[in-house]
Amino acid sequence: MCRLALVLVFVLGLAVPAAADEAAEIVRDADKFRRPGESFVWKITITSEEGKKAPSVDGFEVYVKGAGRSLVRFVAPPRNVGRSLLALGRDLWIYLPDAGKPVRIPFSQRLVGQVANGDIARADYTGDYDVTLTGEESVGGVACHVLDLKAKTKDVTYAAVKYWVSKDGRRPMRAEFYAGTGTLLKTGTFANFKEVAGRTLATRLTLVDAIRKDRTSILDYGDIAIRDVPEKYFDKNFMKSLD
Amino acid sequence: MLGLAAAVLVLALAAPAAAQESTALPEWPEALRVRGRLAEAFAYRLHDPGDVAKLKTLGWLEGKYTLSESADVRVATRGWYDAVFDATDRYPANVERDQARELSLREAILTLRRTDLEVRLGRQQIVWGEAISTFVTDVVNPKDFREFVLPDFTELRIPIWALDVVYRLGPGVTLEGVWTPDTMPNRLPKRGAEFQFARIPFRFRNPVTRLPDDADEFSLERSEGGARLSVLREGWDVALIYYDQADKSPVFFQRRVPQPPAPDVIVLEPRHPRVHVIGATLGKSLDDIVVRSEVAVTVGKRYETTDPLDQDGVVRRDTIDYLVGVDYTFFGALDTSLQVSQKILTGSATNLTRPGVAGVATTSIALRVTTGFLDDTLNPSVLVVVGADRGDLRVSPRLDWLATGSLTVSIGADVFEGPKRTLYGQFDRNDRVTFTTTWRF
Repeated sequence: MCRLALVLVFVLGLAVPAAADEAAEIVRDADKFRRPGESFVWKITITSEEGKKAPSVDGFEVYVKGAGRSLVRFVAPPRNVGRSLLALGRDLWIYLPDAGKPVRIPFSQRLVGQVANGDIARADYTGDYDVTLTGEESVGGVACHVLDLKAKTKDVTYAAVKYWVSKDGRRPMRAEFYAGTGTLLKTGTFANFKEVAGRTLATRLTLVDAIRKDRTSILDYGDIAIRDVPEKYFDKNFMKSLD
Repeated sequence: MLGLAAAVLVLALAAPAAAQESTALPEWPEALRVRGRLAEAFAYRLHDPGDVAKLKTLGWLEGKYTLSESADVRVATRGWYDAVFDATDRYPANVERDQARELSLREAILTLRRTDLEVRLGRQQIVWGEAISTFVTDVVNPKDFREFVLPDFTELRIPIWALDVVYRLGPGVTLEGVWTPDTMPNRLPKRGAEFQFARIPFRFRNPVTRLPDDADEFSLERSEGGARLSVLREGWDVALIYYDQADKSPVFFQRRVPQPPAPDVIVLEPRHPRVHVIGATLGKSLDDIVVRSEVAVTVGKRYETTDPLDQDGVVRRDTIDYLVGVDYTFFGALDTSLQVSQKILTGSATNLTRPGVAGVATTSIALRVTTGFLDDTLNPSVLVVVGADRGDLRVSPRLDWLATGSLTVSIGADVFEGPKRTLYGQFDRNDRVTFTTTWRF
């Protein structure tokens, strides 16, 4: 009896960290569908729609290396060509041809449409959030884990994320993004899973404004190349010459 | 000697760069990038006599040819024609000659790279500093003040022929060295121009002769140069700068020339005394607030004085310029930038005549607020700059409409207020409304 009680205490003591580990593992696995590798280049096309207005299309070429380091070159439309955005963790600079130099900007500043700088500059959640597995739900007929993600620091775009990851294959399916006040900001849906360089990737993310449902931004990822990006791409002193 | 060293450095880099070309030479259509813009800028002067003040057609064309991963060439030109000089007869011929039309080479740069080293050789803009819309540590290029400080800063800077070497010493640490024999001074508006600066209030009883400012633009002897060390640690972005240059603004030295039996003639000779600029910049994000700061100490700075006892009419006042700025986005939509700057003279400011100098300390406060509507296609902004001691101000509201991905339509105004001999007050009667369309391709 006494031995049984001891075993129960031991099992219960391990259960909470084990659940946390499993939740973190699910997020880590889901991130693999959203990030082709440690160092890579991809093009992102953002189509922003609002009501009956004609959609606007913005193009970006994104260089990523390690966690939190990315350089975003604006390639369309013509009025934005020549601009670039450098994110080193929480530090963000924009190079504007009209200013002729990189200028620091707040991380929360909007990039285009419903897309924050962090949506482009940071591609994964591992490391940025504390994760709790809260249950199971079906998304579009697919059985999913439901996870609550709470930001570890203020250094991320969203204070909290509710994340749906498929039980089979641990693919990211859906996400709700929240402000620090608990207000729902926008909803994201992952789609167009494709094989790229031996890896399956979600090549479309659709963001819908939580209040104005007719405001959407569709992020399409393409021209993905896994290669070593030189260190100087992540140095603001070289932003001008990369134009 | 410095020039020779620069040439050796460029040649040393060029060889490996050329060697790498054979392995990574892109096809020429992909290697060539061309872009440009066309703009039509209209300004109407509000004060009596209200009239068209600008009717300018501008064009920019730039190309970049990538020779290899290690080398590229950039060329950019700008041209304009201002029909206001044909449409009105308000401006004298010398202003028309100076401002009616222009075709200039804005960029001609050969860039060579080798791992962490980058060398840019040619006609270029070299921009230092953290702050926006100010020149505290933006000291390398001369400025074109023919339209005061109203155009974009890339348009205000006059490109110079220079060698710019940037070396990445390690993660977040970069050293930059600049050398130029191109000692071109600031370009000032001619007498009678729309934004002619207030003239120095000399009170001579004798006849005065003002000599032209015609020092050679190129001079190895008077060549300029400096260095910048930039360090990024834990989000703290700090840079230290040193630059040795001729003062970009002319200083009018006086001398008396006897003309017996007639009275002495006062000769005003523009010179560009040597100055040493020592400075630092700082940038840091604190949650959603961006803090930036710049300081520059100009050693050897000279100012004109109206003190009749001063022999050459010029006094030395080493000068400290600094600014502190804060950026914050209110309600997730209102981008706000506040900058406080101060110019401090190391000595008395009595009898000094510069419009931008109000006393030993001259304080300015600048506030810029920008927001966006209709998915950021309609962007109103306002810039307010107040001279706290001088009592002058500039207010520039503007509305940019991004009509398409290529076409931007802007309406705006520039309003100046203040006493006559202050920086903005001197243009008290130059308030204007503007209308600009820009097409990019």
